[in-house]
Amino acid sequence: MQQLTGKIYDIQGFSVQDGPGVRTTVFLKGCPLRCPWCHSPESRRFDTELNWMHIRCTGLDACGKCLGVCPRNCITRGEPTRGVTGEEISYPAVDKTDCDECGLCAKACKATALYMCGDDKTVDEVMHRIERDMPFYEDSGGGVTVSGGECLSQPAFTLELLKRCKTLSVNTAVDTTGFVRWETIEKVMPYADLFLYDLKCMDEALHERVIGVPGGLILENAVKIAEAGGSLWVRIPVMPMFNDSEEHFEKYAAFLSGIKDSIVMVQLLPYHKMGVSKYARLLTREQVFVAEPPTDELMEARKQQLEAAGLPVRIH
Amino acid sequence: MYQFRPYTERIWKMRERIRDRVIRASPDKLRLRLEAAEKYEGIVPLIQRPMQSLHVITNMPIRIEDDDYFVGNLGNKYFNGSSGMMWLMANIEKDWPMKEDGLYHSPDHFELRLAVSPEDLKELRELAVGMRRGGGMFGRGEWLPDNAGQFIELGASDYGIPGRPGALTPPGHLTPGFQHIIRKGYGAIRKQAQDWMDEREGNLMNDDMRKYMFYKAATIACDGAITLTSRYAEMAAEKAKEAETPERKAELEKMAASLEWISTNPARTFWEACQMALLYQLFLVVDNGPGVTAMGRFDQYTWPFLKKELEEGSITLDGAQELVDAFFLKLNTYYEGGFGKMAQTAGIGNTYQHTTIGGCLPETGEDATNPITYMTLETIARLKLHDPTISLRVHKNSPDEIWNCALATSKMVGGLPLFQNDDIIIPGLMKELGFTLEDARDFSLIGCQEIVGSGNDYPAPNGMGMTHAALYWAVIMDMAINDGINPLSGKQAPEHVRSGHLYDMNSIEEVRDAFEKLATWLLKWYVTINNYAEYQQEQHFPFPNLSISTEGCMEKGMDVSVGGAKYNSYGGTATGLATVADSITTIKYMCFDKKLCTTRELYDAVMANWEGYEPLRQQIISEVPHYGNADPYADMELKWVIDLYYRLCSECSNQRCSVYKAGMYGAADHVQQGEVTWATPDGRRTGEPIADAMSPAQARDVNGPTAVFLSTCCFDHTKFMDGMALNLRMHPSVLANDGGVEKLREMTKTYFENGGMECQYNVVDTDTLRAAQADPGAHHNLVVRIAGYSAYFVELGTDLQNDIIARNENMI
Repeated sequence: MQQLTGKIYDIQGFSVQDGPGVRTTVFLKGCPLRCPWCHSPESRRFDTELNWMHIRCTGLDACGKCLGVCPRNCITRGEPTRGVTGEEISYPAVDKTDCDECGLCAKACKATALYMCGDDKTVDEVMHRIERDMPFYEDSGGGVTVSGGECLSQPAFTLELLKRCKTLSVNTAVDTTGFVRWETIEKVMPYADLFLYDLKCMDEALHERVIGVPGGLILENAVKIAEAGGSLWVRIPVMPMFNDSEEHFEKYAAFLSGIKDSIVMVQLLPYHKMGVSKYARLLTREQVFVAEPPTDELMEARKQQLEAAGLPVRIH
Repeated sequence: MYQFRPYTERIWKMRERIRDRVIRASPDKLRLRLEAAEKYEGIVPLIQRPMQSLHVITNMPIRIEDDDYFVGNLGNKYFNGSSGMMWLMANIEKDWPMKEDGLYHSPDHFELRLAVSPEDLKELRELAVGMRRGGGMFGRGEWLPDNAGQFIELGASDYGIPGRPGALTPPGHLTPGFQHIIRKGYGAIRKQAQDWMDEREGNLMNDDMRKYMFYKAATIACDGAITLTSRYAEMAAEKAKEAETPERKAELEKMAASLEWISTNPARTFWEACQMALLYQLFLVVDNGPGVTAMGRFDQYTWPFLKKELEEGSITLDGAQELVDAFFLKLNTYYEGGFGKMAQTAGIGNTYQHTTIGGCLPETGEDATNPITYMTLETIARLKLHDPTISLRVHKNSPDEIWNCALATSKMVGGLPLFQNDDIIIPGLMKELGFTLEDARDFSLIGCQEIVGSGNDYPAPNGMGMTHAALYWAVIMDMAINDGINPLSGKQAPEHVRSGHLYDMNSIEEVRDAFEKLATWLLKWYVTINNYAEYQQEQHFPFPNLSISTEGCMEKGMDVSVGGAKYNSYGGTATGLATVADSITTIKYMCFDKKLCTTRELYDAVMANWEGYEPLRQQIISEVPHYGNADPYADMELKWVIDLYYRLCSECSNQRCSVYKAGMYGAADHVQQGEVTWATPDGRRTGEPIADAMSPAQARDVNGPTAVFLSTCCFDHTKFMDGMALNLRMHPSVLANDGGVEKLREMTKTYFENGGMECQYNVVDTDTLRAAQADPGAHHNLVVRIAGYSAYFVELGTDLQNDIIARNENMI
């Protein structure tokens, strides 16, 4: 029988912002949402895809092994340019229009400048890594966070992974957008100690227009998790000109007050630009929305606004 | 988040004065030293050395600054004075511009600002000639054990590398017995020696004469310390007469009275305890060169005095904090202004007066954290001091609050404090060095990382009068696959330790055997020369000034140099074993296990410094498992090389010590050694730094800090009682809030529970470091840790700056 695998793009030890304590976070690939500010754009597509990190490339003159391996001729010699340390260098020019993600070029690239993002891993393989990190969970109150992308878009794998963690009594958290069928959430609930639950927007129309999917299901699921006795660690990405107004936060306050007893933390995550450079790695023309990060004063004001509603709040 | 107290204006002004200092040469002490050497020529060294010190102390100019809380000045004539001896390597008359003040100033590209007047320079040059004639240092020019040359010329150790410190590590690289000085006073110590001699007057039999000579030396040493203190007492009284304000007048009068008291008596107050420690330190520097004696457990030996005063209400916590600030600022002025390669290795502004805080009580093992523990961290964090190095001892009962204070400190000043794990070090000291439980619980840290007893140990952690980082292990790696030839120097080891070339080897076992054979021969030679230095030390450099505070010496009537201390050992360090381990792993993976290239190809690539082999090099970097990622495939090679190193050390000894300690630390040796190490099989290029101390090779750890910790725990840390350093760089966002602090704390604790001895955190992101390179002025006070010391980033050479940037930045 073929083993169950998940499509994983990263596993991080010492992940300190994905729930309580020191955690190992397993990032699953693929997400139904299209947040314009997304800081891990490589997590959006569900399939393994060719990515590119120019700083690793030693240049075509020193290497050049990627030229000529592509059956669809997607890789050609690029114009000479300046490298990381200012020297002249020619990078490969990759046109992904005809790319079928066969991976031959990545295989040829010894420097892994061209690399395939997204690995099919079995639950055993992931558990092997988790077991190694386990000593660090106990004292810190940490554990495993299954994240994404949207990890519940790979429900069978996520469920199995959570079950296995629970057999080792490892604390588990599911980091979700909430844009999932309720039945899926219901299935993982017994094995999830905590939901890291993103609430990106309280305005239905705005949600659909900006993020590409309606937000109603997300709010509904949050309420259902609360009603079913689940714990919620709510995460709000604070985006300039989108959800950072006082008015918008009144809506957050009103909604979250209604499910207050289930909320262990509301985490305000100020928008940052750290994801911007990742877009070039995708080799597509996909553009990221760039804005100025919210000020500390604004963050503090929004924090106080939610605290006034009796909610536990932290920034970062 | 831990909240730091405010500091006073007076303290900040003092701090700025030290930060912006220009160090000026003052040849007085050197002149006096040579005068004394001539005057007392022919007297046995044991007596002559304290007599020389006494002569210097009696005649040297002294000064008290207008804002001084404590007295003591290294230069004695100028604020921030230095002997300036080392600067003479430069062609000052030609290369240093003379400025309006009539002084030669070091050129603008010098990170360190030095100045010397034409008259002082002239005198220094003359003194240097005198020193060379009969100054007493022994060097490489002297007779050495037969055939030492064949070892030295290989360039596989600090010997044979031009410009590297030769015999500069002075004998006092240790923690003196500050607690004994403070509690007994010089009068009582002197009396103890005098009583012994009086009792046996005219009746010295058997071994007595040896002891008599020691006790005689001890009385002269005490006279030196008493004279130093009294002279400052007199000067304070003088200065009080002309003080500008009534407050300062009262302050100076009080200082004068206290100084007079402590010149012969034990300390009564917190101020007196601090002042005694500072002056004893200065006193040792007179005989021992720039201060490499550490400050020991400062919070422990001063706390009883502060506690008493707090109970009496004669001092407030804020007042005590101001004194702690002043104490560490004063220590910062004990800086000689290093030069050339020495400054590059040892760092600018580093006094190596390593200070230990926290830990447990020797008698009970209970937690010893006290208010001074916090105050010490407050001082270095608020005043952004990169020096002295502070080690915080922690154990399973250390309060979270001190952890939080320490991590908040790391955020302010890179790499400080170092976290030292009592639960590993205490049993290690008992097992490896035979310490009693009580003495083991009283350990302290010195230099970069070295573990020593406090005032009862003569530990010579870098060997005696010895070079710094022992052997160049990465060079040995290259020699092992190159028929014993160092590819950089072209010199070859003798036939019986050669094993042919990598392309003649058919298994990884053969590679390891080749390495072991060479390493054994080289380490034995290295220690042989070390033992020779120890013999010389005993003949020429007894150290009674130190012996008077060292437990064992006064009881036995023996100087520290001949084994008078309660504990005796010596040792060395192996920095960058990760480069060796990764190299062996690479050969194993690429040539034998996966057969991705032939041994011939890999050999050719390394010997070509990877020219024309870039794809192969890239494959090694991205595909071969590396130490630091919790991958047993790579970690087992590190364990192999570390176990070999430990075993070889345990086969070494000399007449004073039965134990030669192993350690994994180094000041900035990994950069210096990298410069003289040919390319290595792990993909490192010629001249690039090797891995630092115990850390994974730069940027080869890609699985985060938990993986680094797990890898590091692949071997038994309790064996390495010379100390070890593990550097981790954290992105500041990790410590953005209380949650992050808590997690870093718990992660570190877990590392310690799993057998980790030490770690230190640089909390800084790459963008900030790049910005500081581009605009040093705007990042004047940015402190980062190298390996064995912290430094202002903008004062580091570009190679060191780039080394910090190259380290993996652990994100969220």
